[in-house]
Amino acid sequence: MDRTCLRLWQREGSLSVNTVKNNDDSDMATDRLKHSGPEIQAPSSVVRQSSLKLSRLRRFVALGIIMLFLLQFVRIKILVGGLGGSVAVWFVKILDVFAYTESLTASGDFTLAAFGAVVPVLGMYLILGRAFCGWVCPMDFLFEVIGKTGRKPRKTPNISPVWGYAVVGSFLIASGVMGVPVFTNYFSHLTNFFRFLTGTVSFGLGFPVEPEVIVFSGGTIAALLVLEYFFPRFWCRGLCPIGRIYGLFNKVSLLRLAFTEGVCGECSLCDQQCYMGVKIARNIDRSSLRDVNCIYCGRCAEGCATKGKIVSLRFWR
Amino acid sequence: MSDKPRQRVREAGGKHQALGLFADTAMQITRRAFLGLSVTGSALALFGSAVSCSDQPPDSGEGVAGPLSIFPVGGSIRPPGALPEKQFRAKCISCGVCVNVCHVMKYDAVAVAGLKDIRNFGTPQIRDMRDFPCALCMECPGQCPTGALKKTEKEKVSMGMALIDFSLCFGWNGDVCLSCSKACPMGGSIFDFYNGEWGNQPYINDNCVGCGLCVKYCPLGGSAIKVVTKKQYERVKGQYVADSRKLMAMQGEQRYAIVYGQNLPQIMAKGRLVEREYR
Repeated sequence: MDRTCLRLWQREGSLSVNTVKNNDDSDMATDRLKHSGPEIQAPSSVVRQSSLKLSRLRRFVALGIIMLFLLQFVRIKILVGGLGGSVAVWFVKILDVFAYTESLTASGDFTLAAFGAVVPVLGMYLILGRAFCGWVCPMDFLFEVIGKTGRKPRKTPNISPVWGYAVVGSFLIASGVMGVPVFTNYFSHLTNFFRFLTGTVSFGLGFPVEPEVIVFSGGTIAALLVLEYFFPRFWCRGLCPIGRIYGLFNKVSLLRLAFTEGVCGECSLCDQQCYMGVKIARNIDRSSLRDVNCIYCGRCAEGCATKGKIVSLRFWR
Repeated sequence: MSDKPRQRVREAGGKHQALGLFADTAMQITRRAFLGLSVTGSALALFGSAVSCSDQPPDSGEGVAGPLSIFPVGGSIRPPGALPEKQFRAKCISCGVCVNVCHVMKYDAVAVAGLKDIRNFGTPQIRDMRDFPCALCMECPGQCPTGALKKTEKEKVSMGMALIDFSLCFGWNGDVCLSCSKACPMGGSIFDFYNGEWGNQPYINDNCVGCGLCVKYCPLGGSAIKVVTKKQYERVKGQYVADSRKLMAMQGEQRYAIVYGQNLPQIMAKGRLVEREYR
């Protein structure tokens, strides 16, 4: 870390060049240089990562939500269903946005009941953007476990979000043609994860369940984990249509990646830490960044040599 | 072509009997082995009846064949309040809310369809009515987030149609049983009884909602009642009604021959499975 800091100071001179380069592409004041002084102060609205606690909190949230879903198997009805669609406290219906879109395309029938179930999700992610992917999605948690297995670092091919939109479009067309919500019903990791859980529990308790349901769902999850082993986050970055839809919310969400004035050493540690291939360092001169790939995991802030004082997650202001 | 269906009907009947014969030895082994055996047996029986399902009326020369031989199989019985099949399929996203709601309500009737019917994979069905019938608690329609299940009144549910196998039912073969009518949550609006010298013959009319509680509480091994979807019922309705009318009109020697010569041995063979443990 010492050496990084040293480099930070050594490379200070090159900052102005970088600033000039990025002048054209933002609404920020052009005179807002990043070397305002050695004292770096973050505004109070910044979600502070005082130490490197954000990862732990993230894992806690993801596991906690899965635990709440597991409670339904002992007949406690806090969250019933799966992340594709669920009922909270036996009252609030919740439906994933992409699942709803597919269901709507397949049936061609708009009902208030289904739309009412999407509204909570729409509201939540208008505020939080794509935070679902980094904080709730069980695959994110499993992928991190895979990442800790000591495989040698691999490079994910850089994949444009356009491919993701193509996946979204093709699944929607397929749903419309076949009259079945194709992705959500067969391949969705959310559906399959919870179908696997429900199937296994039902099988264990001796309730009617087809074994092939468990095999199919478990196989889909396993296939994604294998994909993750060889191409880290290829699924999240390029293919997953659920995250792609949530990514659109990033453009308007209240939660966003924010940059504070301060000394940036251009060390690119944030870029290296980012799962999703967001180009953070080159946008450091903006006040904030709204990238459709950002999942607000906060790893850039944790990885930053300034300990999150320049890059941070900011809410509301 | 004309001979084949008849032959297959007899094969199916043979498998029904074999199921009963196995039971004696099976009960002594283990519960698991017994369950496996009965599952295999019923699968074979289902297969047999699937094969025998055809447009041709079953053998009616010597008597009335039980409707089980004309029972259609493979239809998916949806949870209560389901939209018409096509709309339901288009809306259901296999999220599993209804399955888990059913588990929370302690009925565990709703299960997920397997890969055999690939189009319906992952969608909710009521698969095992012998052990886990729908209790019509009407919770799942209210909780479905996609609107594939719609809130309905209990009386207007249309999950399927329970058909009585006249050759296996006690009430149609010189006895009084009434178990099915006692189990029925709708009671008198569904059951018609035709009392005669050959028993207190129950008949389930078209108001049946198809919950399957009668299937569970039928004391006969393997149950004398089977629930089919309304669509399948429309196909076999003519044959079914004709069978019942024919049997009711039949008296004396002819009926005696059917009951004692044909049906009671079958019932006795199946009756041994009554010792199964209810859950």
